[in-house]
Amino acid sequence: MADKLLIGISAQGATVAHWRGNRIADCYLFDHDDAGHAGFKEHLASIANVPAYIMVDAVEEDYRFETLPHAFGSDRTEMVGRKLKQHYRNTPYMTAWRVGRDSGKRRDDRYLFSALTNSELIDDWLNAVVARGLPVAGIYLLPMVSEALLQKLDIKAVNLLIVAQHGGGLRLTFFRDRQFRLSRLTRGDSGRGENRVRYFTEEISNTRLYLHALRTMTLDEHLTVLLVDRGDELMEVAAGIARDNPSLDCARLSRQELATRLDLAESLLDVSPYVIYLHLLGFKAPQSNLAPENVTLGHKRYQARRAIYAGGAALALAAAVWTGANLFQMLSLRSEAGDTARQTAQLSTRYLEITRQFPAAPTSAENLKKAVEIAQKLRESVRTPEMIMAMVSRALEGSPTIVIKEFGWKYGTTEIEEGGGRVAVTAAAETPAPAASAVVRKQSGLIEGEIRPFRGDYRAAIETINAFADRLAKEPTVGGVRVVKLPLNVNPALSLSGNTLDSPDQSGTADFKLLLVLKPNI
Amino acid sequence: MTQADLQALKNPLLALLAVLLAAATAIYYSDQLMVSARRQLAQQQAQLKEARTRLQKSGDEKDIIVRYLDSFRQLQRAGFVGDEQRINWLDGLRLTNQQSDLFGVDYQIGSQKPYAYAAEFNPGQLELNQSVMRLRFRLLHEEDIMRFFNILARQGAGIFTVDQCSMRRIDTGGVIRFQPNVTAECELSWITARVGAAGERK
Repeated sequence: MADKLLIGISAQGATVAHWRGNRIADCYLFDHDDAGHAGFKEHLASIANVPAYIMVDAVEEDYRFETLPHAFGSDRTEMVGRKLKQHYRNTPYMTAWRVGRDSGKRRDDRYLFSALTNSELIDDWLNAVVARGLPVAGIYLLPMVSEALLQKLDIKAVNLLIVAQHGGGLRLTFFRDRQFRLSRLTRGDSGRGENRVRYFTEEISNTRLYLHALRTMTLDEHLTVLLVDRGDELMEVAAGIARDNPSLDCARLSRQELATRLDLAESLLDVSPYVIYLHLLGFKAPQSNLAPENVTLGHKRYQARRAIYAGGAALALAAAVWTGANLFQMLSLRSEAGDTARQTAQLSTRYLEITRQFPAAPTSAENLKKAVEIAQKLRESVRTPEMIMAMVSRALEGSPTIVIKEFGWKYGTTEIEEGGGRVAVTAAAETPAPAASAVVRKQSGLIEGEIRPFRGDYRAAIETINAFADRLAKEPTVGGVRVVKLPLNVNPALSLSGNTLDSPDQSGTADFKLLLVLKPNI
Repeated sequence: MTQADLQALKNPLLALLAVLLAAATAIYYSDQLMVSARRQLAQQQAQLKEARTRLQKSGDEKDIIVRYLDSFRQLQRAGFVGDEQRINWLDGLRLTNQQSDLFGVDYQIGSQKPYAYAAEFNPGQLELNQSVMRLRFRLLHEEDIMRFFNILARQGAGIFTVDQCSMRRIDTGGVIRFQPNVTAECELSWITARVGAAGERK
């Protein structure tokens, strides 16, 4: 639990306790005079960045129970704020706490309005705290803090009056059904030895009458009185009250009981009567906080800072766990990789030992085999123009008038170009992508020839050429034959001219071109 | 939230930002280390598998070496395996020209390049290269060209493929005598194989 600065303020002075490690570590008293205030400031100078919880024990306090219509949100805030202003005009230290709902039909909300009516009592102390820059978590009235005593001591009495001797007088706080109902601080000296029993009895009686007048409790009802006796000096009082008031249950919390049940060092009980309440305040601050927003602003920022730091720490922790997991996994993987590498090395060593018995070879067995197989495949893949030349020769036997002037051949992924004529030998003759897996090469031939003799009979010439092409196309390995050029271009898109004179002499030429493509992989 | 609130929370927010950055960096860096370690393990496992397979097949490997070593050495001598033997090619051309009674052969060899159809042969660790040779002949008859290729192949100067050829009849005016009747141009690819660095005997 975080450190806290617990300050109990009364008309007599201030009690300052340091809450550290879930308990009060040390406690100091400062009187309500110039020296006390100076000492208080000096003490605060050594403290930084610790939230201050202020508890006030004063006669100038006010409690009101009031019923308001049930409302939500801003309506409720506005209504309660209005009520607070009506009740407490002269103090900024006030609050309202919804304690429950009415049992009536309207189910109205029941509120406890409380305030410190004399703000001057705490102003100097509070200003010193604010001036030091300590965040003020809240300002609480002592009776509100003492409610926690019931939970701590597990007191189940229906009507309970806690009576404690404080510096300023006797503090009497009444709880009904474990809920705060009333508290009063009597003025006066309670230390008169012989009158102490009477004094306590009178104040308890006065309180009962007051409760009766407020219709909080009738005089007939059973009441349990709990004397908080930090100095073990109220034994007689307890006995006296029990003797004089048979209708009362009077119990006493001795010094040792207080120390044991509240887990509080006995020596601290000697310092101040407020140590008990500061101890309770350290554990849990009550809901009724009198401090206005401008006072608690610093604490809100302090909480926001802590929340951000906590978020950062959580983030750092999560990142550390994540990173740690990654690093652990990485180390495991590396270790596994190391083991694998060692196994590989062992296998390689065994392999090398075996290969020493192999015949000396210039390269690996796989490469030997590959090189020989590739050489064989290359030799098998060699193609020459011979096949197409033989086809052309066979086809020419049926067409003696055809004379071949030029012949081109190519074995590649593309056909020989029509106007190729000469073979263009370049370094990049044909470069399919090296990675191409389904490259299909085929043989193609380009035949340029003429009809000789030619006497102007284009029809006969074209028929001869087509017959030549048909004979080539009938070869089983031929994939296609295309007449690229005929002696006469009969394309209607072009103009055509000539002479029809029938002459025994050769007139003009009847050139043609044929493209012959074999089936793939022939 | 007011400006004053922001000012009050400046340091924690900066600290949070720094933690955020540091956390992101740490997670990213450690993640990268882990990915790298995983990749390294995968590589090691692949190498182990390869080593195991190699060991298991070591018996077969010996058989392969015995079976293919002589043929491989012949290919080395022929100039197919190893560096290009251009002098051998030219000697082969010269001898082929003499033996096939041609009227001389003009040649032109291009620079060496990766073999265009290497993928067809799945060469593995071998690098297949080609040098294109352009030849120009004058022939008595068309069939001389086939005779030329057959004799060149028998010279053992290397392995070549014929890529393309063209022949053109020379107009001799009808005079019959021992003279060139056809001009021809051909393009050959001399193919060589080189054992890559990775394929050296381990």
